Amino acid sequence: MAGKLFVRRRDGRIEVRLNEFGRSVAREAFRNVVAAEHDPTHEWHVSLTSPIDPSLDSDNPISMLTRQNETATNAELAALTIDEDFLTQNEAWIWLTTLQIALRSTAQAKGLLSDEQLAASEPEVLDYIRTLQQFLFQLADCL
Amino acid sequence: MVCDTGVVASVKPLRTTETESDVSTSDSVRTEKSWRVVVWNDPVTPMAVVVVIFRKIFGYSNNKCTQLMLAVHHEGRALVWSGARDRAESYCVKLQVAGLQSTIEQDQ
Repeated sequence: MAGKLFVRRRDGRIEVRLNEFGRSVAREAFRNVVAAEHDPTHEWHVSLTSPIDPSLDSDNPISMLTRQNETATNAELAALTIDEDFLTQNEAWIWLTTLQIALRSTAQAKGLLSDEQLAASEPEVLDYIRTLQQFLFQLADCL
Repeated sequence: MVCDTGVVASVKPLRTTETESDVSTSDSVRTEKSWRVVVWNDPVTPMAVVVVIFRKIFGYSNNKCTQLMLAVHHEGRALVWSGARDRAESYCVKLQVAGLQSTIEQDQ
């Protein structure tokens, strides 16, 4: 996937230059975040419900609900804009945060908690992680 | 002052110069401990993403965001904000919604 994947235009919009493969990877990531938020058995669910205050047995329900709503809303909005050629700054931010959740959830679900574990991971997992990192790196450059 | 019964009336002063009883002299002032927002390192998140997230959520300068990101990277965690508990919790949720691993803890 050579060349720039996201380009910031002079009017502030972000041009999306992902090919079909790139869009399919992002689409799947967005769908998985939506699914994980609603399905406690999803392998990403644990990373979406990490403790806010680890000294407590249970976190403040209002904060937990806020997190759940915002994460799910962002992922749904990202999925809705997956075929767009241009993103607003807000949409690009939502893509970045949802892709970042997908990236970290993948690493956590696969037990990749250190550089050594990451280096020793299966090639297809590593490819997926590298692809998401590339998307994120270029999106961050536009924001 | 003498009244017609010859009994001296007891008069309570309207104002006293003795104000000691109005002011607590004990060390009873309560100081709320502040709460810290901590961001934890992970092996996959790109550094540039952490900087963008800090800038967006806290409004810090690029320089400060970079310093905090490097602290997370090298030390495994970094204190990114401290203050009242409700705000700390709110920032922690924002960081988690943005995909970073974050917790809150009380100052020791």
